[in-house]
Amino acid sequence: MSDLSRLPWPFAPGETTFRYAVNVEPARRRIETPAGHWGEHVIDLGDDYLEQMSLRRELLARDPGRRQVLPHMEPACWDMLLFLLRELVATRPDAMHLSAEGRAFHWRNDLLGIEQAFVLGDATTLPTDPLTWIGCQVPDDVLMVSDRGGRLWFDAALVTWAAAWSVKFDVGMHLDEIHGPVPRLNEQGVTSRATRFMRSLTSDVVYRRVNWTFSAHGSPRRDISLETKPDWDADIPRLIRDGDWPRLQLRIELEHLTRLPLTGTLTFNIRTYMAPLGEIALIPEWRDQLAAVVAELPEDIAGYKGIAPYRDDVVAYLTGAARSAVA
Amino acid sequence: MSGSPAVCLRVAQIDQVTAGVRQIVLQDPDGRRLPGYAPGSHLTVTAGGKRNAYSLTGSGIAPDDYRISVLRTRGGEGSGWLHDSLRVGDLLPVEGPRSAFPFELASTRSLLVAAGIGVTPILSHLRAARIWGRPVEVVYGYRPGAAAHLDEVRELAGPDLVEAPGRAALAQALLERLACQPWGTHAYACGPTAVLELFTATARDAGWPPVRLHVEHFQAPELAPGRPFAALLRRTGVQLAVPSGTSLLEAALDAGVDVPNLCRRGVCGQCLVPVAGGRVDHRDLVLDETERQAHTSMLACVSRAADDHLELDL
Repeated sequence: MSDLSRLPWPFAPGETTFRYAVNVEPARRRIETPAGHWGEHVIDLGDDYLEQMSLRRELLARDPGRRQVLPHMEPACWDMLLFLLRELVATRPDAMHLSAEGRAFHWRNDLLGIEQAFVLGDATTLPTDPLTWIGCQVPDDVLMVSDRGGRLWFDAALVTWAAAWSVKFDVGMHLDEIHGPVPRLNEQGVTSRATRFMRSLTSDVVYRRVNWTFSAHGSPRRDISLETKPDWDADIPRLIRDGDWPRLQLRIELEHLTRLPLTGTLTFNIRTYMAPLGEIALIPEWRDQLAAVVAELPEDIAGYKGIAPYRDDVVAYLTGAARSAVA
Repeated sequence: MSGSPAVCLRVAQIDQVTAGVRQIVLQDPDGRRLPGYAPGSHLTVTAGGKRNAYSLTGSGIAPDDYRISVLRTRGGEGSGWLHDSLRVGDLLPVEGPRSAFPFELASTRSLLVAAGIGVTPILSHLRAARIWGRPVEVVYGYRPGAAAHLDEVRELAGPDLVEAPGRAALAQALLERLACQPWGTHAYACGPTAVLELFTATARDAGWPPVRLHVEHFQAPELAPGRPFAALLRRTGVQLAVPSGTSLLEAALDAGVDVPNLCRRGVCGQCLVPVAGGRVDHRDLVLDETERQAHTSMLACVSRAADDHLELDL
């Protein structure tokens, strides 16, 4: 069983349609769901923290390019590091400990067995660069955006769980360029409203947003980057051929947005969750709502999400599950 | 509602920096660490019944305290109160820090221009630049004998400082230093409006693209009271009458419409509201030319209707 008890379900109660929107809300608010609850903290370590962090270390060792930092972003990485350390403490004060004397900090992560003294801004005091060091202690993909000349630029990131995109390809673009392929987003002003929203963010608030799709792999593996496309490309066609719908994964991305205090850099951190349809089908509210949303989804959005070829099967599977539950 | 809730900080220390300038050192009353901030940030201080923004002079990186330097201004009720009435140990209500004069991370070099008490955010940028090892040059224009923080600027800037005693010397220094910066430099200036105009004009004549120039207005230009107009809030159907001398923001707040706001002088950008109809007379210092011409948003604290009515998406 995967852990649905902390799943950030992407649809509001009663909602039966989906369109792209600037669906942001203040973070750090607990939401009750039919399977449990989520959202109390900015960071959710999950029940597989050690395993995910070990996967991330392996992936970075194999492909160091998953970390991209434009030269001017080094101070922003330190800014992010400090922000995330404090959020780790807020999440697990029993296991995470941070103390400071001026710019000299002392950190202890009991879960990963890390103990480290460092001076903020002095890269020689850490065993790796600051972004790798912090990125290997949080389950989120870490993304940094610069607010420059009226535009938002994707200038640094550590991403190991990308959904069919490549951090190497996207780094250095501005947000309108990155979102060019998303239907209706630029045309309907969603990107420009999102940009205005991001630019108005201040460092004393954190916002969040939930996004969803179906994963391009019928397993909980989160790494479906373009870099590894040959490894996962054949999986969904096989799943469709076999009609193995319970194995299809609803992929939910919980994004946290804030402005880092020292450099004004914007964060776009993404925590990825996976939930197989077979388990969603056991929770009636979620099963019925997902069936309704997928059935109503306009063709262009379904196409972008890559689910157009099999959306009717998904709806049929979910409604079939509903019928057999009644029977 | 303002941008962030006010907290009370304890006055830990007061120093007379020059005859007219007082440095106020603030700490958390419970001994907690204060949040870090971006260089060039300001605190909004409520003093003598007035809310004023003062630049923080530290680097912002892991601060032990917040420091502001306050010039006593003629007729300034806030600054007068801070000079005459504030004592060590008092609790002072502050909002922020807010960053409205940030450093451009992607720049390869910074030219920092300070005039008079405008040295306060420049000192903050200089400290941060030294900590991060960023190339920097400082031009400091001052009246001899009245230069706040001159010793600190000299010590931090070392050979990268051009001192300009008097307005003529400052004009000359700007002319020379703006003409010889390498590509990739961003220039930052803080000072009286006349100096900022001189800075902008000199830079433009030297061929600087506007996106590489950053100015901090610590004295917003005086605005005319403007003509009366009507504003329709589309979502609620509320009709606001905005008389001459009253801002759209004040009219909205008086009618119980919640609009986030902070500086109330067209500088901080907090009270940006979406415009759904009508043309705007933009009087702020935040929006760029494209945003102005779109007539789709305005700063409610200073901008008004260009004609006699506006519709807002509120």
